[in-house]
Order: sequence, then structure tokens, then C-alpha cells
Amino acid sequence: MGRTSPVTQERRSVEELEDLAFELRQKLLNLCGTYEGAVHIGGDLSSADIFTALFEYGLNVDPTNLANPTRDRFVLSKGHAAVAMYIAMAIKGFFSYDGIVDTYGQLDSAYGMHPCKVQLPGVEASTGSLGHGLPLAVGMAMGARGRGATHRVVTLMGDGETGEGSVWEAALVASSNKLGNLVAVIDRNRQLMTSFDEERVTLEPYTDKWAAFGWNVIHVDGHDMAALVEAIDSLPPTDSDKPTVIVAETVKGKGVDFMEHNLAWHAGSLGAADLERALAALEATRTKENV
Amino acid sequence: MPVTFTFGEFLGARSVIGSTLAELGETHENLWVITPDIGATLVEFRDKFPERFLDVGLAEQASVGVAAGLAYDGNIPVVSGMLPFLSMRALEQIRTDVCYPNLPVKIIGTHGGLVGNGGSTHYAVEDLALMCALTNMTVTSIGDPLMVGEILRQSMAMQGPLYIRLAVGKKDKVLYEPGQHDIRIGKGIVARQGTDVTLFTHGTTVAQALDAADELEREGASVRVVDMFTLKPIDADLIAQCAEETGGRFVVLEDHLAYGGLASRVADVVADRGIHLTAFERLGIPQVYAGFGEDEQLRDKHGYGLSATVSALRRALAAR
Repeated sequence: MGRTSPVTQERRSVEELEDLAFELRQKLLNLCGTYEGAVHIGGDLSSADIFTALFEYGLNVDPTNLANPTRDRFVLSKGHAAVAMYIAMAIKGFFSYDGIVDTYGQLDSAYGMHPCKVQLPGVEASTGSLGHGLPLAVGMAMGARGRGATHRVVTLMGDGETGEGSVWEAALVASSNKLGNLVAVIDRNRQLMTSFDEERVTLEPYTDKWAAFGWNVIHVDGHDMAALVEAIDSLPPTDSDKPTVIVAETVKGKGVDFMEHNLAWHAGSLGAADLERALAALEATRTKENV
Repeated sequence: MPVTFTFGEFLGARSVIGSTLAELGETHENLWVITPDIGATLVEFRDKFPERFLDVGLAEQASVGVAAGLAYDGNIPVVSGMLPFLSMRALEQIRTDVCYPNLPVKIIGTHGGLVGNGGSTHYAVEDLALMCALTNMTVTSIGDPLMVGEILRQSMAMQGPLYIRLAVGKKDKVLYEPGQHDIRIGKGIVARQGTDVTLFTHGTTVAQALDAADELEREGASVRVVDMFTLKPIDADLIAQCAEETGGRFVVLEDHLAYGGLASRVADVVADRGIHLTAFERLGIPQVYAGFGEDEQLRDKHGYGLSATVSALRRALAAR
């Protein structure tokens, strides 16, 4: 029998998850304020709610048992969002946040711009070159199927990287092999590094493309935690016969008004003044939501 | 089904791959075979282990990426296909998805060199240069069809990635009798003893090298032929030993670009170890897109056929 619903040690409420996503963004900004180099802050912020929903709700992972064979596998295909993943994993208990902030990007640190499995246990795959995560996840899902395992394999891609042909090669392999244990989440923030989606490359009709490739498509607001939770709850059983894509509509830079929809914040660093401004902007979103 | 053979006869390396994988599938329950639509010779494995056989269709990048995912999941994936495409179209997947995390993925394929008369789209002539550049990769090029089976068997215990290069694999001369040589990845094979000059080669041109050595023997010269089937890690000790024992005379012959393949690997060892040579000749594919023709015709046309090899050996022998 396949699994039908996410298994987590504790079922978090939407409100708790929203708080955790806020904490992730706050910690992310603080790291950007500490680290002198550039951080891919725009795509980190667009995927912050997704990371929280996955690590705190959807994924069956246990920081105290990294080698558990029945754990869900998570592959970060948009490897440039590594910082957001490190922090989400730190909040979950995999790493210490201070350890990340203190060493990020430094010589011999395990925490760098793109995740490395060899240097950082707990990370499932070394990624960073775009368009590589889905094929890896397909292989992991095939392997799980082959030995009758019932865990899920989940990968997070950026929408921009689905311009890579390797994504669509793997999409065909996944549907042809009926990988119902595979979930691709797409952070559809509609921005590439130097342009807005649809400006130079037309991805729309986007969900139709995935459906045409034989995938089960879930289309959600990627910043609506209740919707993300519902999407996770509605995932088909792992022994079903279609891979699922969750197309999550997001905003690059989400949570910091001056970074939203702004190409300048694909990657950047924050000085003390910017950090203060960014934290205040983030705080304002919470006040607004609470009103 | 075990492969039967006769020394000196011709046999398809592909059939050896097929039967060896089917045999290894029995003992290794985590062995997977993945192919981008080059599955004809893998039928035996596919029929025995359909749940561990994956034809991804024409999708080389996916074939290697999926193989890496399977390896992450604890499996031993063998990707079998045509090397001009696997080595270039999937180069980044081989480098980043397989070599970077040092996964036990084997890449095995055909059409290494000017073989098969497919034209330049279908000749892998740069592949060894590309593969030797990759950290963690072990690179082999095999001429004797039975050796392919032996290397595949040995590779089951290997931790990291492996590249196995073959010619067309439909008709290959059996060069060695089983047990005649100690075949180990990383160790060159002295296919023929000799004292005047060493002829290093690999893969498709080993048979030609042995023919050239025969011809020189009739002229009274003693040619050592080394089948350097592992290009990386290179058997540096054997190279040093050959320099000492064959008068510092080296000829390198290969069905690959003359620069970037075995000749360059040997030259690196010579330079790094400060080995003094009397002669160094390299025979391989020049910087041209080679065109059509039968294998032998192309080797002759591009200057590394049998007569060119004999001439190079004579030049090396005459050097003082």
C-alpha cells in the first residue's frame, strides 16, 4: 500500500507554519546582513513558505535519524536557494542556525551558495546547476519503486529552470514510468535572473504543459500556507500512477516590499541600513496580516 | 548464457556486455541498467530483470541524471549507450551529478574512435580527453571483447564512477586468452614483450599495434606493446619501467584525438617524473572532422593506420 497522507511527528497548524515561515525570512535577512557576499535573496524569499510547508508539514524527515530508509527524499533543484533550505532545516533541527550564520560561504564551511551532500549530511543531493534535480529525483523515485518502498521523493524547482531541456526529458521518464511517488514543486516566481518570465521566454500555458506531459497538476498560491497544506494533503498515494507537480504561484522577494518584483534583488547583500529597512518591511507584513 | 569464444576469432563486445550484465544482475540485486534507446544488446538483462531495466528513450541527460538518482538510492546503475552522445550531451550530468558526489555509476558505450562509418556526428573522438578531466572518474578503453566482461565484474566493487569505451562492439578480435594476463583496472597490460621500443595503445588499435609489432619483428626489432586500457588513473610506474627497459623509445597509437588522449596522459607522466626519452611519436586523429569510410580506411587516411604505425616505430628505432 502506498502512503496516502503526509506523515509528520507533529501536525502543525497553519498559524504555526506561518510563524515558522516568518522566522525563516527573518533569519534569512539577518544572514544576508551578516554575510558580506551576495545571497540569492529574491528566490529564497519566494520559496520560504514552500520550504516551511515541506520541512515542517509535508516531508517525513527526522533530523535525529538521517539514514532512516523510509524517510522522504528532498532534492533542491533550484540549488541557489540553498540558504533558505539550510535555515528551514535548521529550524526543523538539522543544523544550528548560528553555525550557518557564523560560517556561511567561508573556507571549509559546509554551508555554501549551492548545497553539497558530501560536505553537509542531511542534504540528499549535490545540486546547483539548474535542470538537474528532477532527473535525480526520478532516479530516487524509480529506486524506491524498485524495492517496494513507500516514501515520497520531492524536488523543488524554480520556474525559470524549467527552460532546461533536461527537465522535460525527466518529466517524460517520470510519467512514462508512472511515478506516483514523485512530487515536483515549482516556485513560479515569474522572474529569471535578468528578465521577467514571459518577457523573453513564454512558459504559459504552464500548467497545461505539465498536464500534457502526463502529470497530475496542483495549482496553488505559494504564499498561502493553508493552500500549500491543502495541496500536500491532496497528494495522491505513493503507489498511484502519475507524478504530481505543485505549481506554486509566488513573488520573488516576497515579504520585503522593496525587493518584490525587483530584478535587482535576484542576488544581493544587505548593509546595516538595508537590513534594518528589510526587517521593518517584513515586520510590517505581519502587522498587516494580523489586523 | 555463457559466451563461448576462440582466441584470435571475432566476437561482439556488445554480446559480452549483455550476457555479463544478465549474470551480474543475479548476484547484485541493486544492479540497474539504463539506456537512451540503445537497448538491443541488453535484451537478456531486460527480460530477466524488467523491474531494473529502464529505457528512457532519446534522452541522454535524463539517462545519466536518473542513474545518479538511483545511485543515491543505493543502487549500482550502468548506463549503456553511444559515447558521442553520452560523453558530450550528458557531460555535465556525468561531471556534476555523478562525479561530484562520487557515485558508483558506470557509463559504458560504443563508437569510441573513427568506427562505424557514421560520420563525425557519430564518432566519439574527444571523449577520453573530456572524461580524463573529471575528478573521481576512472577511464577505460577496451579492445578485447572478453575484457569488457571482466572489467564490468570488477567494477561492481568500485565506489566511484567508471567510463568504459568500446568500438562498435559488433565484431572485435579476441586478443587475450582468459588467464593470460592479470587484468586489473589501473594496471596496463604488456600484451607483447619487447626491448627496443614501447608501443602504447588502447581499445580498437591494440590489434593493429600487435600487427605492427609482428611486422617490425620480421625486420629484427623487438617491439613491446602495452595495452594501456586504463587511461585514468594512468599506470605511471609501468610507463617509467618501459622507458627504462626499451631505450626511452615511445610510440603512442590511439583511435582518439592525438592530443588529449593516451599520448597526452603518457606525456604528462614523462614530464612530471622527469623521464628522459630518446623518441616520442604520437599517432591519432588530427584536428579534422573525419568523414566517411570503413574503420581501416579512415585510420589510413588520417595517418594512424598500420603502415603509419610501422613507419613511426621505425623512426623511433632510428632515433639516437
